Amino acid sequence: MSKFQYVGKRVPFKGSYEKAQGKALFGADVRIPGMLQACVLRSPYPHARVKSIDISKALKLPGVITIATPWNTPTTKFGIVKNDEQFLTDEAKYIGDEIVAIAAVERDIACKAVELVDVDYELLDSVYDPIEALNCNSPLVHSDFTSNLCHHVEIERGDIFTGFNDADANLEKTFKLPFQYQAYLEPQTATAMWSDNSLTIWAPGQSAKHLSDWFSSAYLLPKDNFRFIQTCVGGAFGGKNYMRVVPIVSVLAKMADAPVQFVLDREEDFLTSQPRVPMTINIKMGITRNGIITAKETNIIADNGAYAFLAPGVLEVASVRVDTLYRFKNIKTKASLVYTNKLAAGGMRGFGNPQSHFAVEVMIDLLANELNIDPSEIRLKNAAQVGDENIHGYRLASCELQSTIELAKIKSRWEENRTKSKKRGNKKYGIGMASSVHVSGSVMACPEGDGSSVMVQILENGRIIVFTGEGELGQGAKSVIAQIVAEELCVSYDQVSVEDLDTNIIQGGAGAQGSRVTVYAGNSAILASKDAVLKLKESAADIWNCNVKDVIFRNAKLINVITESELDFSTVSKHYIHMTGGSRVIGQGMFSAKNVEIANEIRYGNISMSYPFATQVAEVFVDVNTGKVEILRIIAVLDVGQIINLDAFEGQVEGGIAQGLGYALFEDFIFDKGTLLNPNFTDYNVLTIKDVPEIKIYTTDSIDPYGPFGAKSVGELALVSTAAAIANAVYNATGKEIVGLPIDPFEILK
Amino acid sequence: MKKYVSTEMNPEIKLKINGLTYKLRVTPEKTLIDVLRDQLGLIGTKKGCNEGNGGAWTVLIDGLPMCSCLLLAVGLQNNEITTIEGSKMDEDIQIIQKAFVEVGAIQCGFCSPGMILSTKGLLDKNPNPSVYEIKEAFSGNICRCTGYKKIIKAIQTASFQINEKKSL
Repeated sequence: MSKFQYVGKRVPFKGSYEKAQGKALFGADVRIPGMLQACVLRSPYPHARVKSIDISKALKLPGVITIATPWNTPTTKFGIVKNDEQFLTDEAKYIGDEIVAIAAVERDIACKAVELVDVDYELLDSVYDPIEALNCNSPLVHSDFTSNLCHHVEIERGDIFTGFNDADANLEKTFKLPFQYQAYLEPQTATAMWSDNSLTIWAPGQSAKHLSDWFSSAYLLPKDNFRFIQTCVGGAFGGKNYMRVVPIVSVLAKMADAPVQFVLDREEDFLTSQPRVPMTINIKMGITRNGIITAKETNIIADNGAYAFLAPGVLEVASVRVDTLYRFKNIKTKASLVYTNKLAAGGMRGFGNPQSHFAVEVMIDLLANELNIDPSEIRLKNAAQVGDENIHGYRLASCELQSTIELAKIKSRWEENRTKSKKRGNKKYGIGMASSVHVSGSVMACPEGDGSSVMVQILENGRIIVFTGEGELGQGAKSVIAQIVAEELCVSYDQVSVEDLDTNIIQGGAGAQGSRVTVYAGNSAILASKDAVLKLKESAADIWNCNVKDVIFRNAKLINVITESELDFSTVSKHYIHMTGGSRVIGQGMFSAKNVEIANEIRYGNISMSYPFATQVAEVFVDVNTGKVEILRIIAVLDVGQIINLDAFEGQVEGGIAQGLGYALFEDFIFDKGTLLNPNFTDYNVLTIKDVPEIKIYTTDSIDPYGPFGAKSVGELALVSTAAAIANAVYNATGKEIVGLPIDPFEILK
Repeated sequence: MKKYVSTEMNPEIKLKINGLTYKLRVTPEKTLIDVLRDQLGLIGTKKGCNEGNGGAWTVLIDGLPMCSCLLLAVGLQNNEITTIEGSKMDEDIQIIQKAFVEVGAIQCGFCSPGMILSTKGLLDKNPNPSVYEIKEAFSGNICRCTGYKKIIKAIQTASFQINEKKSL
């Protein structure tokens, strides 16, 4: 019997009826009287200086209101980590770079006007390969920077020489990891409206805080002058943090003095979503004959494309996070993020973690083969454990990694399936495993301190409205928050509604990125509920004319412990409104994690509230004639602490695995120099309903001391090790080492 | 402000949508989705590619699921068009909606109106689809959030409930 009423249960997602009925308002469903539509002229060249722009013909087109060019818009450079962006640019750095933006009464007219603009370009030398781009003779992607190196990480812990000396076997491999498009179904969209010096943005953005930081760096305006209202978000997966539609639509709205909306078409979205950063990872690991890892040396070259956006953060994650998985003692990592004249890469679900996990987790299986031992034994022997403080200062207050490995072995009948005969007609069977670790929010994404605020309002008849600074992406954030509030206030889940995020009502948080919403907003919702209870007690004490200390709150009732009289929730709430002359009971919850610290310049310190772990096992068939990989089954065992919403949890795991399968098997960007050849769902294959294998999900019993009700994160963790598990299964089936993604059938046949 | 082109010149057409007849002027190249969303304010049909890849933009044309972004509005004057807003008049669609909500098949919800109408189209033709038949029928409907498991469950649940209702 669960001790909870709502926590850990299946309850329908907040807002899902509206979505089912087509009533939910997404980015492009925003309608404002007098609103204009935008279209952008994008560079057809990977690197070119704009010599002149003739807008005279476009201006004459009836219905065209405003034309923005690099010369009539602010030229200040802005950005998140690097100041390398502009509103519009007069030096195109990739095919798709924004040169001219037009607002017109209809989108068709704006797009027709774009075709009437004549731009004269001077072509410049381009570079597409990040290793070539590091060469000192290479063309500079940003002519005002001294090199193409965008970001660099160097970390050394322990003694790498001793580590390799202590090893009985060493292995070195180079892994190539591809782009991966977020492929949310709702394209990037924003609507902007100015009033005096204040800007309101309606958009399906992931993070209010990051959006306002970005704005203020662009406009040099105080953050208070930005209002962000989150629409329904039609999927994000990391791609809706820094949407380029936002600065473009805001500058057009200012110039037109009218509301402007900009909805990308699918091809534009491919060019600007900032997909997963492609990396080449060279890795060398040393191991003793009984399976203890003694050293790991890693060199990463990451292809940033034309603009930095979040990619420096992705590089940081790729450099360190996987080191929390095992008890590494001696490591050395060098990583470089390099500008090239391609579309910009950035944050996608997993944020650098799937890349380095792929390298490490495939290496484990290759090392196991060298030593002729079971790879799961290496994992178990080196696994991080509860209480560990790892080489980067991360402290594991909860960790059931070993249990996830052991349970995955049992549930997959590992021993039996590893050893059974491989051949099945013209197919070969294989089974492989990979483990993973992620964070529950990273303070590195909010160096000034990460926190979250939730406000609980109790209305006259006991209905409860909750406001949060974090927003909802569709992952079920509102439901999780409502469940926690219902649990704390002992009211029904249906009584609680969670409002859309509006930064004029509540401080915008860092939002749905870094797998942080459940733990941050969840803790904040508990505090807000407790604060509301305190006010209800005050109100009850006023009714009874007694001391507040004599009032307790139980089962949604206020009880006077002296007289044993009871008052229900709504009576007390109503009294509060009368007593205060019109204020509702408002509970404020402000939460910041006390157990995290900003990593210092040597990147040492506990950066996250908690660390969730998982192990996935993949079973595959490989066709010996075609090299085609067929996934039979994925078994996922997760250590994510207390689950708050079972449906949301399963949805995150199943959806994450589906994206991991795509990463493993077919998702990639195909370039001819700077041209993306597959910017549509016909040529870029995402997983369809026909491709989904059986997925079995299990959890280990774990409660994290810092999470709300003991919860940790799940959203990104779910896909981090999927591709590696599949690669290891293919290796088990065929003996072919898989060192690149997506897995190439031709390589298997070689 | 410059003079904006009037729509007076465009041909007048009649469209029968969710049981109502709409008289409107459209340019011949307008797709159904743009007419629904921009001229009629029926925003429940979502737009995401204009190439017929994805299925979130599915509507029913004479009961058959079709991509509203590939159909020209002018060509649909003799057809019955059902959008998600039409669910108010259709008990089956309401059962499907409820099933999607209750099994947790809706995450971001952008694909949901299309999934729900495709379910209606499938169940009308095949009231007891097998998992294989569901997968065949939905191979063009992309969902990036759920991994499809709960969508299959929702379709099966709806199929069961609609059959149960009909057998009463």
